[in-house]
Amino acid sequence: MKIRKWFMLGIVSLLVFALSGCGEKEQEAPEAAEDKNENREDYLYVAEYEELKKDGYSTNNITIGKDGQAFFSGVKDGEVKLFSQKMGGEVEEVPVELEENTAIGAIGTDLEGNLLLGLITYSEVLDSLTTAPENVIVRKITADGTVLKDIDIGKSLINDPEFYIQALLEDKDENYYISTGQKVFVLKPNGEVYFEVDAGGYISNVFSMKGEKTVVANYGDMGWEMREVDLAGKALKALDTPITFEYGIYQSGGTDADILYTMGTKLYSYNLGENEPTEILNWVDSDIDSGNLRGFSILEDGKVAAVSMDLSSEEGKAELAILTKKNRSEIPEKIVLTYGTTHIPYFVKTDVVAFNKQSDKYRIEIKEYGEGDKDYETMLNLWTADMSSGNGPDIIDMYYCPVGLQELVSMGVVEDLNPYFDADAEVDREDFVDSAMKAYELDGKLYAIMRCFGLATVAGKVSDVGEGDTWTLDDVFALMESKDSDVELFQYTTKYNALQMMMQVNGDMFVSEDGTCNFESEEFRKILEFANRFPKEFQYDPTGASDIEKIREGKLLLVEETVTSVQYYQLCEAKFGEPVNLIGYPTSGESGILISPNGTTAAMNVNSKNKEGVWEFFKFLMAEEQQENLQSANSGFPIMRSALEKQFEKDMQPEYYEDTDGTQKEKPKGVWSTGSSGEVTIDVYAATQEQVDSIKQMIEIAQNTQIDSKMLDIIMEEAQSYFDGQKSVEEVSALIQNRIQIYISEKR
Amino acid sequence: MKIIKSAGKPEKTGKARSGRKKRASQRDARGRKISSVFLSPSVLGVLVFFVLPFFVVIFYSVVDNPISHQFVFFDNFKMVFNNAAFRQAASNTMKFSLIAVPLAVVLSLMLAMLLDSKMPFKSQFRTFFLTPMMVPIASIVLIWQVLFHYNGMVNDMTALFGAGKIDWLKSDHAQVVIIVLFLWKNLGYNMILFMAALSSIPKDILEVAVLESAKPWQIFVHIKIRYLSSTLLFVTIMSLINSFKVFREIYLLTDDYPYPTVYMMQHFMNNTFSNLDYQRLSAAAIMMSIVMVVIIGILFLAENHFGRDVEG
Repeated sequence: MKIRKWFMLGIVSLLVFALSGCGEKEQEAPEAAEDKNENREDYLYVAEYEELKKDGYSTNNITIGKDGQAFFSGVKDGEVKLFSQKMGGEVEEVPVELEENTAIGAIGTDLEGNLLLGLITYSEVLDSLTTAPENVIVRKITADGTVLKDIDIGKSLINDPEFYIQALLEDKDENYYISTGQKVFVLKPNGEVYFEVDAGGYISNVFSMKGEKTVVANYGDMGWEMREVDLAGKALKALDTPITFEYGIYQSGGTDADILYTMGTKLYSYNLGENEPTEILNWVDSDIDSGNLRGFSILEDGKVAAVSMDLSSEEGKAELAILTKKNRSEIPEKIVLTYGTTHIPYFVKTDVVAFNKQSDKYRIEIKEYGEGDKDYETMLNLWTADMSSGNGPDIIDMYYCPVGLQELVSMGVVEDLNPYFDADAEVDREDFVDSAMKAYELDGKLYAIMRCFGLATVAGKVSDVGEGDTWTLDDVFALMESKDSDVELFQYTTKYNALQMMMQVNGDMFVSEDGTCNFESEEFRKILEFANRFPKEFQYDPTGASDIEKIREGKLLLVEETVTSVQYYQLCEAKFGEPVNLIGYPTSGESGILISPNGTTAAMNVNSKNKEGVWEFFKFLMAEEQQENLQSANSGFPIMRSALEKQFEKDMQPEYYEDTDGTQKEKPKGVWSTGSSGEVTIDVYAATQEQVDSIKQMIEIAQNTQIDSKMLDIIMEEAQSYFDGQKSVEEVSALIQNRIQIYISEKR
Repeated sequence: MKIIKSAGKPEKTGKARSGRKKRASQRDARGRKISSVFLSPSVLGVLVFFVLPFFVVIFYSVVDNPISHQFVFFDNFKMVFNNAAFRQAASNTMKFSLIAVPLAVVLSLMLAMLLDSKMPFKSQFRTFFLTPMMVPIASIVLIWQVLFHYNGMVNDMTALFGAGKIDWLKSDHAQVVIIVLFLWKNLGYNMILFMAALSSIPKDILEVAVLESAKPWQIFVHIKIRYLSSTLLFVTIMSLINSFKVFREIYLLTDDYPYPTVYMMQHFMNNTFSNLDYQRLSAAAIMMSIVMVVIIGILFLAENHFGRDVEG
């Protein structure tokens, strides 16, 4: 009995011990997590901004000095000057004596904080198109402009007329490093070229790692690489790091870290040998668009200095920002909205930062589900879990949305925006382009707003496709029959591309509203037969004729285009060399021109606790100022009718310059190049009324049609056996009909 | 004195009895408390992982969606019941179970009987029939794909005899292929269960039957089947459950939207889950579980009826 009691006591003690151990562990974990969270949640880098601009001068190269001071070059009527500016201070000129026709090609720094100027002397006046670089000088100056060294390198680095300096650096032994294109030149202290090395890909920067190693950051065959310049071996040597680098800006980490870099929206520091980088800040939280960054550094007092160049406006806007780490409690509180996306499109970053800067009440934070190189399944699971549990973001990105609008609506996660339009006196739905608003409309309910759009279409010569608005597959077949067998319909198009293209446009015509589908119809079989006319795969021939040559010789009939501006339309015309018709994809009668979102496109989460804030963001996207100032000419057509009209007027307004003999001559609005190797360059002048009318017509008839991705998968899978010649078109269409019918029935 | 003694004795005995009873009841109470302490983790687990999800499923089945939680009563059930895909899935699953389960039971019983008789290489045969259980599901699917793909071995073989190609997995033949796969995978396990049950039939009864000149079929029907009734029920229920689980193989063979004849209930469930349509998924799950409960109930009644004299 006693033994049994002791035995029982032993078991109970063991259980209690084990359970208490479990409890302790569980208690410890949240504490650790809390500590970690505390670091992230409790502070924020608050930015002060200073525009880097000297009146009348356009700002070019920018760099950050040792004490957070910005240095930049300015050009005015061919005159180049160097300026400096501190936060809150005035712009000061740094006296630099430059020879005639000399530009500051790059500004770098040495290890002591002196400036290195890469001076390029040109043969002609700077604003002429006929200039050619003739001489390169590296000048070392102090922050007040005192010249410490002038090294005349001569012509030895100049190997093509497009010569430029990407990065400039001096190491502790006074060797100089100049990167241009894919090459790094290492110069001895006397300016003699010690050696040059080809990085095998575009070099984004050359920087010093704590003054010990010189590192080249470039995009090569293996993706982004960091390689050390091996002076003894006269080569580049890979850095031994367990982490992988992606597209980003890589810089010297100063004295505290080996590398300081920005990837996505975050700033990291990294020391060789560490398994993971340290996240310092999220630029979006500090209202800085990481896509505009030109440089950054951590100052001695722990503040972060950053210089950026925003090219969204015509002039461009350079800015210095000093970011100070502050407790959130010190910062005026704003209501936080989340913008959820699988990947962050560059325009979302820009719009969110712009909204945050101007809003006193709301702050948008971006939640990127695909952050950290997650695989698609993991990302989708995270996204789905958040949405279905009602914890989804306030704003749902529709540009990279992993599910279609129909699915979002059936999940019940997106809010109808029509009542918001009705209730808001400041915005009227009628002010916006109808076809763009209808792109995200379902059963009379509007679920998403896009900031701007493009027109996806097919372009062909009028002599081939006629002057109509639409055409059918029979018309396409007739066109193909009328041409020789070596004439291509689309370039580099396979059976699968062609089928996908046709289904994207015509997919919904085979599905009825009553839940039946008709993939055994003659129209669908024609699509399969059409796709089957293309090769299974194409061989890219880099030495063969370009697309432009083929078009002009009549060997290529059609080109897929997404027209995002009047200039792009003009470019299409120039490409074909004769009257062109952007007729759209072949359909069974409807328009084959598709509306394609080309900027921030988002929906409101029905579960958001801050729907007013979300609507504020949508109003910001639709506001006149935003609509009239899209990032650049190629960013798409604004959805606001008045802004679109203004854009058209601007596109038709000729610009003039005074020739040497005093006559007014029309100035090109821009120089555009096209063709697979950019071989056709055209000066785009003011558009004609006819060209603008054509675009207006296209916008009016454009529609939004999309095929469900699952249906497309089934079609592509089954079509393979037809393309392989194993099954007849009837067998395959019957199979597709059976499988898709199940899919459609299930969803009803 | 006697009276007093006799009167005193029962008094003493009564006290002792009530004391013993009290102690026993105290012991019982203590025992119950201890059992409750030991049982509580399991009870908690059952509550958290079975009972709670069950109620969550019921809740989801009567709301419009998991986010807005608008009560819609039986709308989801009506919607699911009227859904053509659900009906197709239910009909296919029923057809499949009606064909595959009896086949799995009868064939495995026949095999067990065969191996129970005096035949050579019994052990080797037993191992042979059990091997499908050891093969991972992915390998099974791979083997089946190699065999039944449009360009697979079966079509290559039939081509030798001049027959045309059949798309086994994407035609009306698909269900046959799946039934064969199901039987191949499940016969061995069922057979082992039957063999165990056959070996537990009392030998003396069989010997008496033989002495009484009973014919083999009479022994089989009147003795063996009676003794096998509980195993028959178990094998049938397991086969029925496995027939619902054949989805795994079909899914790997033919994806989430297969040819209509092999579109099963689990496809419907899985796809509605993927589409985050939890309300319809819950309604379908409840309907399916009700049908399962009814079927299993009928099976229990049958077993009670046929096997009561043996067990009793």
